[in-house]
This record gives sequence, structure tokens and C-alpha cells, in this order.
Amino acid sequence: MTTSAEAVAGPSVRTTGRRHPKAIGLVIPTVILSLWELAAHQGWVSAVFLPTPERTIRSLFEMIRDEGFLKDVLSSLTIVVESFIGGAILGIGAGVLAGLSRTADRVLGPTLDAIRHVPPIAWLPLIVLWVGIGPLGKVVFIVKVVFFPVFLNTVQGIRGVQKEHIDLATVLTLNRWQLLRRVVLPGALPSILVGLRYGASLAWALIVVAEGLSGLKGIGFLIFRAQALLMTDQLLVCMVVIGAIGFMIDFGMCRLERRLLRWKRGYDGA
Amino acid sequence: MSSLSLRGVTKEYEVADSRLRVLDAINLDVAPGEFVSIVGSSGCGKSTLLRLIVGLDADYEGQILLDGRPVRGASLSRGIVFQDHRLLPWFTLEQNVGLALENAPMPRDTKRSEVARLIALVGLGGFENAYPHQLSGGMAQRAALARGLVTRPEILLLDEPFGALDALTRLRLQDELLHIWSTHRTSVILVTHDVEEAIYLGDKVVVMLPSPGRIAREVKIDLPGQRDRTSHAFNALRHEILIEMGATSTVERDLRMRLVR
Repeated sequence: MTTSAEAVAGPSVRTTGRRHPKAIGLVIPTVILSLWELAAHQGWVSAVFLPTPERTIRSLFEMIRDEGFLKDVLSSLTIVVESFIGGAILGIGAGVLAGLSRTADRVLGPTLDAIRHVPPIAWLPLIVLWVGIGPLGKVVFIVKVVFFPVFLNTVQGIRGVQKEHIDLATVLTLNRWQLLRRVVLPGALPSILVGLRYGASLAWALIVVAEGLSGLKGIGFLIFRAQALLMTDQLLVCMVVIGAIGFMIDFGMCRLERRLLRWKRGYDGA
Repeated sequence: MSSLSLRGVTKEYEVADSRLRVLDAINLDVAPGEFVSIVGSSGCGKSTLLRLIVGLDADYEGQILLDGRPVRGASLSRGIVFQDHRLLPWFTLEQNVGLALENAPMPRDTKRSEVARLIALVGLGGFENAYPHQLSGGMAQRAALARGLVTRPEILLLDEPFGALDALTRLRLQDELLHIWSTHRTSVILVTHDVEEAIYLGDKVVVMLPSPGRIAREVKIDLPGQRDRTSHAFNALRHEILIEMGATSTVERDLRMRLVR
């Protein structure tokens, strides 16, 4: 009874060959930032359309100090987080239902498909008409935005669970709940996480649009107002902050994915 | 330990408007604690037979009796080890073995110690927290064996459990299986296409023929003690079984064809 002769792969050893320093990803941003500096200082572009990076940073602090900028950011973030949670729960719930039961799929399928094919933005006017330009309308809107990628990926993930694993569950006499918890959901998890990650990015992108089109609050409102009032510095501040938050949301989702899927061995890239 | 009896078990599949008979009136008895090997070429229905016994497919004619009672659905008293180890990739080795005890009527502590005991028995102590992708093929198959045995089944079904392993690992696991069987003394049905494996392990070798899947012969293996694969008696049995499977006659036919040319 020896195992010594058999090869054992160490815990997730990565063999990616040459390791590049992380800094390699900062090269292009540095070049762009330098070009921005240069263009603004040399007067290649009028200051009305392209303020200097320093001016932009100063505007950020002024906006925080004088105009309650953080409150706006926070209000946008709150809506996104609440709606994301709501949309994710509804999406996974409906997805599990439709994934497990062909009947549920047939009942839900056509309706959801029809709703899905009207683009999110096209729903906004009706939602605003019904619940107004306040936060509630945005929550409804973003819940819908998050719901679909999560729902579709959950159904697909469940349908992709191996028949052999279901047979195993039968042999081990697992009941329906145990089957769902121990076999079906973990099997569908990689796909569900793709849906969640995509839904989170989409939610943050579309809250900006929704606030720009209706309402008097939030970072989306500010960026469109800055454009209308030709406050290019504020516009740039909003762009950078939107980008930074979007980046952090995706980074967080990526970390979550890594953590939940640590049992999975995939291709890391050469 | 229990006895298993199959009485006239017949299975047909619906294939494009016609019915394809994959098992034809199978009669088979497995005595308590007996090790029965079933050999046959691929497509003779031997894996289907195990699916019926373990309870994955209830659509057949005839009777499958465990201690005289017809089997219905799956039960922890019938364990199975598949050719692919079929460990769940999101569970550690320990969790995979433990999954078999999810619905076993025993206290949590007993479950934990039973899982540890079986993991040690198959020689995987120290790998409790490894994920399946970190195990070699042989180790994964031992883990599957531990999962099949941890419920202390009345009968253990082995569906070509070593078929995907390299020759050396296969020989070693065959010996380990004998050792484990000697400590657990459960009844075993081993399905394989490896005649040598069937003789080496079995008290009895059942030869199955394809289309429709049927039992051609049962050969009692009267080789006491540790079996020697190179002995005359062993090879005589192998020859006998291969002829029964139609292997030698094919060779002869080939020879004759060549002579005619």
C-alpha cells in the first residue's frame, strides 16, 4: 500500500515559464498620461476641451469639498449594490428553477426572451413614467439589467452539469436538496460566476446612463451636467472615478471567482 | 454479506422505432462474500447489467433479488465504483468519500472516523484535503474505491475500475483490492474486459457474449492462495475463457484465410 511511486501534483503549482514584472501593464497608461500632459501644456488642445491633469486632480478635491461629490458617488454605488444583490438573487432563483425543470423553462422562457430582446435603455422611459426619476426607478432598471446575464448563465450552467455526476448522486441516494447543494450548484458555479461578473460590470456602466437620462443625483447625472455646462475638468473627474470604481468592481468579482473556484484547474495563459 | 440473484433479466433499448435487446435472460448468482468476475468484449451489456443492479435503471424484465428481496432504486447496501473515478472536482478527497455517508444512519463522529479509516485503508492517508485534480489516476481510483466501500455495502459493483490505468498501477491496485476484500469480505461483482484480471481476482468468471448480451459460461476458478499469473493452471484457464469469448477461433479463421490465399 504505497503511494510514493505515484506522481502527485503539488497544490496548484503554476508553470507559466518566464514571469514578467507586474509593472509591464503600466507602460501604456504612463504613455497616455504623458501625452495628456504634453497636449494640455503645449496647447495642442484648447483648455476648454482638455484641462491639464493637475487641474483635473484639483477639481476632484474641490468637488469633494464644495459640492458633496462623494455623496453622489455613494448614492450611485448604493443603488448598484442593492440592485445587484436583488437581480442576482432573482436571476439565480429563476435560473435554478428553469434549469432543473423543463416545465418551468417552457413557462418562463418565451416571456423572458421577449423582455430580454427589448434593450435595457428602451425600458427606462416606461420605468421613469411609472415610478418617477427617483432612486426606485433606477433600482428597478438595474435589477433587470443584472437579472438576465445571471439567469441565462445559471440555466446554462445547470444544463451543463455532467450526467455522470447526477448518476453518482443517485447511487449515493442523495435527495433533491442534497443533489442541488452538493452536485448541481457547484457544477454550475463557474457559469453562474461568469453571469454575476458580467452583470456587475453592466450594472455599474448602466447606472451612469440611467442617471444621465433621468434624475438629479449620482455620478451619471454629474457627468452629463458637466458636459452641458462645458466643465470639462469635472467631466474628466467623473470619467476617471467611474473607470476606477468599475475596475475595482471587476477586480473584486475576479477575486471572489478565484476563491470560490480554487478547486478548478484551468489554463493560466502562456 | 448478502446473496444476489438475477433471474431472467432482460433489457431492451428503443433505437429508432426498433427495439434493441442488450441483455437476454441473464441468470446469475453471487454467494455471500463471493468475488465474481464478468468478462466480455465491449458492447456485451456488462456495464448495463451493473446499472440495473445498482438501481440506475429500473426499466427491465426479470428479477434482481438481494437476499431474496427485489431491489428497488438505489441503496447504500449496493456500492459501485465506475471506470472514471467520478470524484466531484469541487470536493476534497475527504469530502468526496464522506458524500457517500450523507444519508447513512450513523452519528457524525462515526462518519468522520469511518471516512478516515477507509482513506487509510486505500493508502491515501495524508491526502485528505487534496482536490481530485491533484491526485494521479491511480490515487483517484483508490479514492473511488474508498467511497464505494465506506458505506459497508452488502455488495460492491466494480465497473472496469482499473481500465483507464497504466499496466503497472493496475497490477498493484489488483493486489490492493484483494487485500481490502479480505478485510471487508463483501460480495463483489467485477466487470472487466481483461481476462487475466478476471481470473486473478475472481472466485468465478462469467463469460458474456454480445448482441444480445448473454452469459455463455461460468468458469469456477479453483486456484488456492496467491495466484500465479504465469502458472500452467492459470494459463489453461485463460486459454479456455478466451476460446469461449471467440478469440482463438478468430485467429484460426485468419490463419485459414491466409492459407487459402
